[in-house]
Amino acid sequence: MTTLSHAPASSRPIPNPKKSLITKLNMGTGMVLGIIFCWGTYYAMKAGRDMTDTHNVNKVLLMSMFAWSIGFLIGIGALIGPFRWLIGKDLTAEEQLYLAGDGQGIKRYFKYCTDHKVVGIQYLVGVMALLGVGGTMAMMIRTNLATPGSHFVSPNVYNSLVGLHGITMIIAMIIVATGPFGNYIMPIMIGAADMAFPRLNALSWWVLFTAIPVLCSAWFLGGIPTGWTSYAPLSDQAGPGMNAFVATIIIFAFSTAIAGMNITTTVVAMRAKGMKWNRVPIFVIGATVSVALAIPAFPTFMVAMIQTAMDRTIATGFYDANVGGSGWLYANLFWIMGHPEVYVILIPGVAALMEIAPVFVRKPLFSYNAAIAGFAGIAGLSILVWAHHMYMAGWMPSLNGPFMVTTEFISVPTGLLFLVLVGTLWRGRPWMKLPMLSVYAFIWDFLIGGITGIYLSDVPADNYLHGSMYVTAHFHYTLMGAGLTGAIGGLAYWFPKMTGRMLNERGGYISFWFVQIGFNVLFLGMFIAGAEGQPRRVADYAHLFAHANLISTIGAYSVGTGMLILLWSVIHSWRSGKIAPMNPWGAKTLEWTVPYPVPLVNFETPPVVTSDPYGYGRSAK
Amino acid sequence: MADHDQEILPPTPGARASNFLKRSDVRQTFLLGIFFTAVFVVLGLWAYPKWMPTVMSKQMQSNEDIMIWFTVISAPIAGVVLSIATKSFLNMHRGDTPPEEGIAIRTNTPVVIVWTATSVLFCIVAIVWGLVALNTESIAAASDAPKSLIVDVTGSQWVWSFYYPKQNIHTHTLNIPVNQPVTFEVKSDDVNHSFWPVQLGVKIDANRLVTTEAHADPTATGPLDIKCAELCGLYHAYMETSGAVQTPADFNSWVSSIQATGGVQE
Repeated sequence: MTTLSHAPASSRPIPNPKKSLITKLNMGTGMVLGIIFCWGTYYAMKAGRDMTDTHNVNKVLLMSMFAWSIGFLIGIGALIGPFRWLIGKDLTAEEQLYLAGDGQGIKRYFKYCTDHKVVGIQYLVGVMALLGVGGTMAMMIRTNLATPGSHFVSPNVYNSLVGLHGITMIIAMIIVATGPFGNYIMPIMIGAADMAFPRLNALSWWVLFTAIPVLCSAWFLGGIPTGWTSYAPLSDQAGPGMNAFVATIIIFAFSTAIAGMNITTTVVAMRAKGMKWNRVPIFVIGATVSVALAIPAFPTFMVAMIQTAMDRTIATGFYDANVGGSGWLYANLFWIMGHPEVYVILIPGVAALMEIAPVFVRKPLFSYNAAIAGFAGIAGLSILVWAHHMYMAGWMPSLNGPFMVTTEFISVPTGLLFLVLVGTLWRGRPWMKLPMLSVYAFIWDFLIGGITGIYLSDVPADNYLHGSMYVTAHFHYTLMGAGLTGAIGGLAYWFPKMTGRMLNERGGYISFWFVQIGFNVLFLGMFIAGAEGQPRRVADYAHLFAHANLISTIGAYSVGTGMLILLWSVIHSWRSGKIAPMNPWGAKTLEWTVPYPVPLVNFETPPVVTSDPYGYGRSAK
Repeated sequence: MADHDQEILPPTPGARASNFLKRSDVRQTFLLGIFFTAVFVVLGLWAYPKWMPTVMSKQMQSNEDIMIWFTVISAPIAGVVLSIATKSFLNMHRGDTPPEEGIAIRTNTPVVIVWTATSVLFCIVAIVWGLVALNTESIAAASDAPKSLIVDVTGSQWVWSFYYPKQNIHTHTLNIPVNQPVTFEVKSDDVNHSFWPVQLGVKIDANRLVTTEAHADPTATGPLDIKCAELCGLYHAYMETSGAVQTPADFNSWVSSIQATGGVQE
């Protein structure tokens, strides 16, 4: 690890390694080199190839996209360290300090900066941008579905909206809590000076960043017709836009692997003195379980996508039944990632709310061990349930029973998460601030998501519900109702530490009710449409479903309005909100013991932990 | 004197339970629990039969029963969670300073055990119910096979087509007789589709070069909607057709009319 001075930033000279290349590199140079690599690869590969052959088109596009990513990373300076290693050297101490962004102000957010707090803010802004794009697409989908026979968008655009909304939101939700809070807050929570591998930390963000233009390029290449599940053989048949999806997933899988390894190592190896495992804040446990679950999950998705790429470029036929392949291979690989991924999203959101509840109820977290057992049980079972998404695929019907058993058993550890939260609320007098509202929203939303999940895990009921709008409503109740609600709660809670300002309360309250009421109207309408028999991912529908869809669209607009108000609140508060005290909530975790701006190495003196952070409350009478 | 005695002798479990139940917050929570339980029970018993299509097969009846009774069974659990959450919400503290410290309850082992055991019990009920229903359907499908009407179903972008091998007719609507089991042999000409005769409550994917099977036992006559439940490209939304569960006489008449036109439905 880099050794950094403990002196305050204001009293230290700004590092200025004048002759070093790293001072000249930033996001701009990255984009220039990325574009040069991309176009260079495109024209070099195109030359002499028959571009009427779709395999050749796919080859050229895929390689150009990867070249963009590599070019950008070189251009921003991500690979200077590894290049130096090749010649037996490394960055100088001064260069490392420069990379940490010390004293560079806002510029460091556009550089390859290794400070975990900078990376946390980069993730936060990135997540907000992704949610904005994904949310806009959701509004377009719901607008098209407001009435039957609507032609707001064409079926081709509609299908692309469905797929790109899906993958954009999935990426956003995977990083929504572990990205901003796992990077900014988590190292401080455990008393560390930084992440275990600061350069990899920056790399995880900038690799992810390179995936965003690639994903956006799908629009200009004809869109994707497959939904985010990108089932084969539809993905083999899809046009050039599919390459953007494939490249995005492969790049994203690298990013999550790097981030997962880094967060896990940091928590295992860099906790403050005295922070035994039973004293680790529950958010840290949740974030660690989440990324540890992601480490095996996303490479599986990457393998699935590499095989899709090979089918599309060199006609391998992994998923092509005409040459002995099988779409079921893809479906299995996808869902081996897909179901753990649900909990990768959900667990950090729930863990953030478990961190919040004791602070605002002024009571200890109820049964810390039950919370751990809940997370561990969910993580363990989640890798054994993937084929419940394939009950109706026709693949191994004899396995439907066993997968139904494992899936339904996941309700037991999930129930423990409810127990921990309602146990914490029991006999409490909650301080009703913005973060606490999310705890209540989660309990309602996730209860609905959980109960409806039990129907869907049941094979005979899934006979009817699979592939219907009911499924869409269910997973939004879990992913949005738990993952996003938890992340919004986390944002309201940690906003003062990340920005030095309080989040505007009035805006936050108005936003909360718009979002939550709208959310329930939206997806209760969708439950009705699904129960009535409307398939999901349809651009048009029968008049029978008109009322339910109109209700859903009205709810969606309410959610959209609420999210815009939240965005305004965040921007307004960040720029000119009320200055936050060091510990506005009176919380006991370590991040509230450091001032804002948080010093480069977080703590002037390494902290020593003597108890868990939930020592609230008085003895019972 | 009494206070002094209480300090020396801890209350018996019965006395503790009695004291617990006399507390106003517990009573209010209990009443809220009954309210939320009742809401979920009513929702299950009223909503699903109202929302879901007419039951026209044993499979659809099984699906609807599961939706209704799983909701009813889960109602008390929802009641407990929502009542505690609502009671706490109603007890909120507002203002710019934190409320006074709450009671330091770190855990309560009996509560954790009872909660976990209840979850396991609920889970086992759901699993056994599901397995019995699944097994019943599998046994019925096997035993009914000899007397089943066979319909070959082919999905292709973006139409459904049907072939009745015994009757030797090709159709684009799906008519079947009531009270006779039917086996759908399903495949695809291109990408994955999912064959969904909605009112029959069965569904199976159509895969290229692989035949999958679904069985239904129609129990009532009426119109059928056949949809595709797997995104299959540009006109996925319009990949639907209609049909009917008919009386045997009507079905035979329909078959004869198609056979009279060369075995291909116009």
